[in-house]
Amino acid sequence: MIEFLQVSASYDGEMAVLHDVSFTISDGEFVAFVGTNGAGKSTTMRLMNGLLKPTSGEVLIDGVATTKLKTSELARKMGFLFQNPDRQICCNTVREELLFGFQALGEADAQAHMRVDEIIARFGFNPDDEPYLLNRGTRQLLALASIIVLEPPVIILDEPTTGLDYRECEKVMEVVRELNENGTTVVMVCHDMEVVGDFANRVIAMTQGRKVADGKTFEVLRDDEVLKAAHILPPQITEISMILERDIAQLPEPIAKAHTLEQMVEAVVSAPGKRR
Amino acid sequence: MIQFNDFSFQYREGTEPVLYNVSLAIPDGTFVGITGAAGSGKSTLTYAINGIIPHCYPGDFYGEVSVEGLDTIETSLTVLSQLVGSVCQDIDSQMVSTVVEDEILYGLENFAVPREEIPARVDEALNAMGIADLRNRTIDSLSGGQKQKVALASVIAMRPRILVLDEPTAELDPASSVAVFELLSTYARQHGTTVIVVEQKIALLCDYADMLVIVDQGRIRFADSPDAVLAHSDELLALGVNCPRSTTLMNKLAMQGMYEGPAVRNVAQATKALAEVLA
Amino acid sequence: MAKFLEYIPGNSLLHRLNPSVKLVCAVLFAIACFVCSNLAFLLLMLALALALAIGCGFARETAGLCKAVFAFSLILAVVILLTTPYGAVLITLPWGYIGSGSLLAALTVIVRLMAAAIPLFLVFYATKMTDITNSAVKQLHVPYKYAFTFTSTVHFIPVFMNDMSVIMEAQTARGVEFDTSNIIKKIRLMVPLCVPLLVSSVRKTNSAAIAAEVRGFNLRTRESGYKDYPISSLDVAALIVCILILVAAIVIASIG
Repeated sequence: MIEFLQVSASYDGEMAVLHDVSFTISDGEFVAFVGTNGAGKSTTMRLMNGLLKPTSGEVLIDGVATTKLKTSELARKMGFLFQNPDRQICCNTVREELLFGFQALGEADAQAHMRVDEIIARFGFNPDDEPYLLNRGTRQLLALASIIVLEPPVIILDEPTTGLDYRECEKVMEVVRELNENGTTVVMVCHDMEVVGDFANRVIAMTQGRKVADGKTFEVLRDDEVLKAAHILPPQITEISMILERDIAQLPEPIAKAHTLEQMVEAVVSAPGKRR
Repeated sequence: MIQFNDFSFQYREGTEPVLYNVSLAIPDGTFVGITGAAGSGKSTLTYAINGIIPHCYPGDFYGEVSVEGLDTIETSLTVLSQLVGSVCQDIDSQMVSTVVEDEILYGLENFAVPREEIPARVDEALNAMGIADLRNRTIDSLSGGQKQKVALASVIAMRPRILVLDEPTAELDPASSVAVFELLSTYARQHGTTVIVVEQKIALLCDYADMLVIVDQGRIRFADSPDAVLAHSDELLALGVNCPRSTTLMNKLAMQGMYEGPAVRNVAQATKALAEVLA
Repeated sequence: MAKFLEYIPGNSLLHRLNPSVKLVCAVLFAIACFVCSNLAFLLLMLALALALAIGCGFARETAGLCKAVFAFSLILAVVILLTTPYGAVLITLPWGYIGSGSLLAALTVIVRLMAAAIPLFLVFYATKMTDITNSAVKQLHVPYKYAFTFTSTVHFIPVFMNDMSVIMEAQTARGVEFDTSNIIKKIRLMVPLCVPLLVSSVRKTNSAAIAAEVRGFNLRTRESGYKDYPISSLDVAALIVCILILVAAIVIASIG
């Protein structure tokens, strides 16, 4: 469980970048943080794994304040995927890279090797490949794999889809979804609202270091005032249903409530009184 | 006019060509959006326009590429760079100055623009990008979106006939991405500048581009108006190119025989079309 | 907080000096510190440097800088202390002794290094890199290519330092104990990080070189620089003061 209790934070004692933010994330949730650059989303992520300590308020991980823990100790609980995989990758082969986390934690035993083998098989990596010669999407997958191989109960993703093409993005996100379905808590910062709509169960919107909304994904993404305050656009299908709901009297309920492509196609096809 | 004639290229350290038999003509003043999966060769295509290929990255060059009638092999990079302004993907390492104004001056000084003309050129570039207020700021203190505008202004100051941008919005949030595209297209329309932009955000390209080029495994699959390209959303998805959901929606409805109009590019067009379908 | 060696906007005495003159003055000042070993003179130089730093509003940056230079010179000082038996015996060591002379020599090294370093760093705090390049090209007739290469290198130092800290952060988040208080352990942990740093720096310098190239770097001549860097009476005065300091240092050194 991750708890933020009236957290404010700043860098180098200068102006606060986060003001009085509170929320609780329970085990097994899939939460997306949305908002413009500079809204305080990345700062929130850094507070979660202790890279940054709050200037006031408390961040509790399973009831323990991050100020009482070292980041390297928190690494066991919080897997953190950075936006740029090259910041993370530092070994000469894929296999070494996947083992690196175990070594850092002093747990590179036979079981660790077994888990590395499993991950290699699951992602279809070539264990002897040199990480820097792989393409960007595969490097991102490797960085993700090197974190999930440690099986942390929480993974934090800072814009996991930046710089990836559609296929790579889907691949990364499918892995994340599967982890979540198996009980891993997922917290991500994401600018791509389609990805947020497709994967997150809960959305926390931020603007200028404050939390402006917190709720079920589509409740937040359908709230005009929140969208305006956080300068975000909803996923396209959601936006279409919102506009139609506003403009057309007696719009069939399924269309007005459609969020996914499939729901919308289905709703339009079965709508009464349409033109053939 | 930019002309590719049966152009193929293989990097010296590569084992196979990155581009095969590319033939493409881009008329003056066109806003071209290039997209495709990672490693498809889309960046290489832009390097062939600004002369980085063959002048900086050696390799096997087949066929011919001409920019404003100049063959890019025979023309020096210095001459080409006066015609083609480029903003690289990594703008942080592109920046050479501490302060915004100096960054704009850099190219002007290099190309020896007459001294009396310089102040007007700097003002013009800053105003075109709407960043006159940033003039004396240190580049370090700017946000990603502001830096992107500075990088654009520093290139626009040289009044290039063609602008080449490699993923200008990769690091930006949606609002700043739209702002950059808006400025870019307004500037290009006013000055008749050709714009070539590589971009993953296809929804953004569809709203601004006159021509959409889809590159797949080194070959050009589509080079047409966004409407014409978007009609093939299924094929695009299979190529790893994400279509706007609004486009896919209307194409799916078209397949069900519910919609007969042209492919839509964005939410506004989709809602309009849907309203008619539902009427 | 200002990062290492980065320009801080302002309008102090140092900001207003001609960039080339500033650089030459700082070098003269540093030479003076190395010519003369008189501790009293060096202390005076250190006081002068500190006064300049505080007067120009760089007190905070200079304090951080002093700490770093102090730490470095302290290592040298300890080596000197242990290896140059000189003067009245204070402590006997198995291989010699620490004398009053050794103590004086060690102290001199610390003061000298700090006094010499401060003005050089102040130049970078008070001058835009671009101005140093352009002025060096115009006034010192340094070829543009060399000047640009030099300033780009300096320009990249904070970029790389930033990269290093981000990489360290990423590794800490993976459980590497960079937040340990054991410095030797920390340094040992840093070694494998040279790979990602090297990869990112090679990529960056490569793309920076190409970016400069397509922006006409090759065409630049001394005449095409837009800004002029006139030499004012203030510059002449600063130059004279620094020359006098150097002369004084030489005189004191030859007498002492």
